[in-house]
This record gives sequence, structure tokens and C-alpha cells, in this order.
Amino acid sequence: MSIVTVQLGQCGNQIGFEVFDALFSDSHCPQGLCSKRENEAYQASCKERFFSEEENGVPIARAVLVDMEPKVINQTLSKAAHSGRWKYGQHSCFCQKQGSGNNWAYGYSVHGPRHEESIMNLIQKEVEKCDSLNGFFIIMSMAGGTGSGLGAFVTQNLQDQYSNSLKMNQIIWPYGTGEVIVQNYNSILTLSHLYRSSDALLIHENDAVHKICAKLMNIKQISFRDINQVLAHQLGSVFQPTYSGEGSFHYRRNPLGIDWQVRPPLSGLPTLGKMSLNKEFHFNTSIANLVILRGKDVHSAELGAFKDPALYTSWLEPVHAFSVWKTQRAFSKYEKSAALVSNSQFLVKPLDMIVGKAWNMFASKAYIHQYTKFGIEEEDFLDSFTLLEQVIASYCNLGF
Amino acid sequence: MGRRRRRRRVDPADAARALPEAIAALSQTLPAGPSPETFRRAKFDRPEAAPAFWRLLFCVLSPQPPNGASASFSPEAQVRSVKLALRTQGYPRRALAQLPDDGSQGGRELLLALAWLLAREPLPERLLAQNRVQLGDEMHVCECEALASPGPPAPSVEADGCVDIRHLQWLMGKLRFRWRNLMASQQEQCALLGKLLRRLQRENARLQAALEWRRRELVFWQWMDTVLDACPPEASQPTFLPRIPTPGAGALEPLVRELQALQGELREAVEARREAWEAGVGGRGPEWSAVRTALREAVGQDLAALRRACERSGSLAQPHGPRRLVRTEAGAPRGPGLRAPEVIEALRSREAHLEVVLRRLQGQCRQELARLVGALPGLVWILPPGR
Repeated sequence: MSIVTVQLGQCGNQIGFEVFDALFSDSHCPQGLCSKRENEAYQASCKERFFSEEENGVPIARAVLVDMEPKVINQTLSKAAHSGRWKYGQHSCFCQKQGSGNNWAYGYSVHGPRHEESIMNLIQKEVEKCDSLNGFFIIMSMAGGTGSGLGAFVTQNLQDQYSNSLKMNQIIWPYGTGEVIVQNYNSILTLSHLYRSSDALLIHENDAVHKICAKLMNIKQISFRDINQVLAHQLGSVFQPTYSGEGSFHYRRNPLGIDWQVRPPLSGLPTLGKMSLNKEFHFNTSIANLVILRGKDVHSAELGAFKDPALYTSWLEPVHAFSVWKTQRAFSKYEKSAALVSNSQFLVKPLDMIVGKAWNMFASKAYIHQYTKFGIEEEDFLDSFTLLEQVIASYCNLGF
Repeated sequence: MGRRRRRRRVDPADAARALPEAIAALSQTLPAGPSPETFRRAKFDRPEAAPAFWRLLFCVLSPQPPNGASASFSPEAQVRSVKLALRTQGYPRRALAQLPDDGSQGGRELLLALAWLLAREPLPERLLAQNRVQLGDEMHVCECEALASPGPPAPSVEADGCVDIRHLQWLMGKLRFRWRNLMASQQEQCALLGKLLRRLQRENARLQAALEWRRRELVFWQWMDTVLDACPPEASQPTFLPRIPTPGAGALEPLVRELQALQGELREAVEARREAWEAGVGGRGPEWSAVRTALREAVGQDLAALRRACERSGSLAQPHGPRRLVRTEAGAPRGPGLRAPEVIEALRSREAHLEVVLRRLQGQCRQELARLVGALPGLVWILPPGR
């Protein structure tokens, strides 16, 4: 089953490139630590999901690139083409000459409707190339204008047009001390809109990834490329093929079929790259945890700690909340690797902080005119605040 | 039963059409089959026919990877591969081997080679069987792949009492998710069925072409006689045997001596080890000879089982890999392949053999444990109940 990726904005396109590159490199990695047949099955599965085949054999990423400025898209296209190993489709990108000025309203209310048809056509063409569509993977940032506003608009359209397909949004949570003044406005508008139309939000915090680069990888001058590559590595280790359950001999056909356990009413999913549990004063209660193990000795891995009922909310038993996916095939030359995708209270604090800051700005009506100018009224802001407060409350309630 | 009268008045127009139709039918059964016009040009050794025939022979003679990666072979590589394959099969005409590697000439020789291949074996039928559409009606005979899968977890029965509404909402969400998965799977199933149908249609067309070919092939062979006549006479040695490098007289001698020396060394080493072993175990008492006889018996049984397995030669020679399930009439003559009762029989005997081995191993474990018990006085070992 195939996934169609929609890369939005500067952030989305740069990360999207790294993700496809990581997926491709891993699937063609010769040291898989498994039999040749296993490796071939893995490669075939990865290829079916993320790449389509052309006549002369160079795989084409199943992706649509969208941005309101041409620079990043052109860079992305040429980087992929230069590698010679895979590339983007020639006609899979859409860009304009003017940006969005970091204005969510501009992205959502102006660019969206204006370019709706072109963008949805591109996506439709990509969908038609798939034998079977599993869903959409939408990569965007929260803080800018194009990724966030246009991203929310596109996700809504996908909801309407492809109501049976799953949608997962990969969201980049901005730095706490980010440069965009209105990033908190953009964030809350994005989250509240996506909350209603997306099936799953997979969140990466820039601050957290930055720490990984600094502390774990000891990179001195951390560039966005480093951050994106860490992100791509994490996503790759989630998306590459795995077996579900014991003793099945075909790779899972449902890559987005992570039982996201949509609970009432939110689907915010923070993802942790390491298997460290958040041992804070009050337990980080989870609704759902997914552990993905790759490489040596996966079958004898001891996962009892994840089935502790204390980790999960009172109305859910661990057997329903915890899943494991495994494969012996090593990922990206790491002899053993593990990823944890967790739907838990982990993001409550950051979310609360953003909502708080946005509220403070809103209370003094700072910069609101930039949004009302393009059709986002104060009521829309209030609706967003209300929804997100409800989300925070639902998550806090998990502890009881 | 009267035979059909062979002598019928043949309409000249029909006669003219018969050859191209026969060739067209043949072409449809072959991968990359050229048109009847190309065949005609090949008879007159026209250069434009050569590339098509090189490609055809390449597809026919080389095992093709399923995703058709033949594009990765350059024309020269294809030509060389065809020549090699024909030589391996014993193709007698030297003229073909002397054709240039760039694939620009040789239409007539290639046509003769194709006819030679067609005459030797039922080529269209073999190719069709090889490339048939996989319908998924296969099963594995050997049990290596059949790991028991535990199946989906049983739905847990909720305890009576107040139900948390959040749990209900969670269940609703899960249900919605499963529903959408179902829809997506059904769409996929439709798309795949459509694909399968189209492939079956194409295969049907090829099968019909194969039947057509068999009906009409006489015309083709008559025409091939004229092609052979059109060839220039061959050189004095028409048969072209593969070159076997003749070793010099002395080349084999040192090899033979070396082998004999190795054999001597091996024999000595075996003898030495056997003596050492005998010396090492000879000191044991009478219970050792009992163990030894038991061992001999076990080995004898293993050998007998192996011999039995070999005697059933061919029937279970390749127990691995998928096999198609085919229903046959009860009294129908036996085709190739295994029959279900044989497989069941073989599996049962293997099971029995494995049970024997298991019991023997369990006995050994028990003996070992008993020995350990004796070796550590004061320690209480509670053995599991013997079976």
C-alpha cells in the first residue's frame, strides 16, 4: 500500500527530501543483517510505499511539492536529481513567485482557495499512480505562513476529497525562542484546524531535536540540515517495513495503520526518538504507545516494562494501548534500533505554553489586523483557543 | 471413426493467408515476437530483421527476471548471451556463431535457430507455463514457513459496572478507523481484481494463439524448408562442437598423484582418531557397550529412514517452495507433482521419526539431570513429572 507525501513550505520540502533520501538509502543498504530474500522483500515493500517506477528505472518519490516561493523547491528538486539514485516527478511541484509572509491567514484564505484546483490536481495524479492508496503524509511547519496556513487548507481538502484515506501530518514545533513574532498565532490556528481534519499529528519539536544534535551527536555548528537529517532518521525508522504480531511472513501492508486510537477528541502525537520514559513527578500517562524494533535479537527483546498499567490511563488496558512492530532487518546500518511513538501527556506543557503566549498576545490584540485583513476573524481565534484548551484538559484528565 | 479427408480444395486466397496467420499465432505466444513481415525479411536475410530476432532469442533463451530488467543488457551482451545459450544446447550451425556481435546481421540464421528450438521441444507451451499469471492458488509443502500465528487477541469481556465514557469514545474511534481501513482495502481489492482480469485476458489471448499455432504449424515447416534451401551451402564441417580444451598428456598426472596423496593422508588421520577414541573409551565398563549398541541402533534407524526417503526419489526431492493446488478427477491418470495422500504419508513418517528423536533426547536430559542430582548431595532437585 502506498503513501503519498505532500511537502509544504520551506520546512516541509527540506525535510521531505531528507526523509525520502533516508528511506532510499536504508532500503538499498547492503548490510541488512538478514537473509537476501528478507532484504529483497523489505526493499520491495519500501519501494511500493514511497516510490513509483519509471521506464529507465530511476525511482520517483510519491510526493507533491508545494511552496509559494521557488527557491527551496528548486533546490530540493535538483538535490534529488543530482543524487542519481532517486528523484521527484518532473511535474509534481507547484510554486508561485510570492511568499506568504509568515501569515497563516494569507496561506489559508488567499493562497489556499486561489491554488486549490492546481494543488489538488497534482495530488490526484500522484494518487492515480498508486495501485492502492493507504493515505497521505503531510509535512509542514506550524510557525510559518505557507506550511501552516496552506497546510491546514490542503489537509481539509484531503479530508473532503479522500474521506476514506488516512492522513497523517508531520508537524514541526518551532523553537521556543523562535524568530517569527507571530509564530504562536500561527501555531494555535494550525493545530486547531488540523485537529478537526487530520487523523494523526506526528510532532517533532525543534528544541528537542536540537538537543539531540548537540548532546548526543556532539555537532558544534548545528545547521538545519543536521536537524532535518535527525528527523528523517526518526521518521524512517517508523515508516520502514515491519512485521506485525508474531510469525507473520509478510511485511505489514498498512504503514499508516498505527491504531492511532482516536480518543475524544484529540490526536496529538509527540514522538520520542529514544526509549526513555519521562520520569517526572507525576507520571506521563499515555493513551497509546507503539514500539518499533529493528535489527539483531528483536525476537527476544524484553518489553514488559511497556505493559505496566501505571503507564496508561485508567480506562484502558495495556493490551489495547501498547503495540510492537518488529523486523530483523537492521535500519540504516544500526545493528539495533528502536523507536517509540507515543500518544501521551508529553506535549501538554509545550502546548500549554504556546497557548498561553498566544493568548497574551491576543489579549492585547497585537498583530491581529494582519489576520483579519485576510479573513481570519477574532471569533476564529477564540474558537481555536477553546478547542485547544479542551484538548489540554482531555489530556490532563488522562491521569485520573 | 473415420479420418477427416485431408485432400480438400484449398482456396488460393486462404493458402496465401495461411502462412502469415500461422506465424502471427506463433509470434503471439512468444515474448517479443516479431511480425510476419519481419519473418519474411529474415528469410531473405535482410538486415532490418536481425535486431528483432536477436531480441526474441534472448528473451526465449535467458531466464527472465520477473520485473523485466532485460533493459539492463546491452545489444552486444544480448547477442553474446544468445550465442552462448545456443552453443550450450548443442546448436550445430557454425554460421550463427560467426555473426557479428553488434547484432546487425543474421536474420536468416536466427530464423533457422528459432525453428531448431521449436522443433526440439514444445517451446510456446513451456514459455506460457513459465509466465503464467499467478493466481495465488498455491501452498507450501514443507513446514519451514508455517509458523503458527496466534491470531488476533480475543476481545476482552468488560467487567460489569460503570463504564468510563472515555472508553466508549475510544471504542468509537477505533471502530471508525477500522471501517476506513476496510473501505481502503476493498478499493484496493477492486483495483487488483481489475488488474488480474486484464492479465488473464492477455494470457487467454496467448493460449488461444498457441492452439492456433498447433493447428497451422505444418505450413510454417514447409516454409522453413524453403528458408533452409535459400541458405548458402555450409563449409565442409557443418557440425560445430564446443571446444573442449585438450589437456597435455602430463597435465592430469600431478593431479592424480596429489589426490592419491590426500586420500592417504585422510585415511591415516581417520585411523589415528579412531584409535585414540577407542583407547579413550575402552576403559569404560559394560554399560558403555550398552550405550554403544543403542547408538548404533539409532544411527541404523536414521540411515534406514534416509534410505527410504531417497527411495521415494523425486516425489519429495524438493519439499521446499510453493506448489499449486490442482483438483483432478478421481481416476484420472497421474500428472507430474505430488498427490495429497503421498504428502500426508511423508509428513506422518517424518513426524514419527522426529518423535523418536525427541524421546531419545528427553531420555538423555533426564539421565543428565539424574547424574547432577547425584553429584550434589544436600541439594534437592524437583524434576518435572516424566512423560
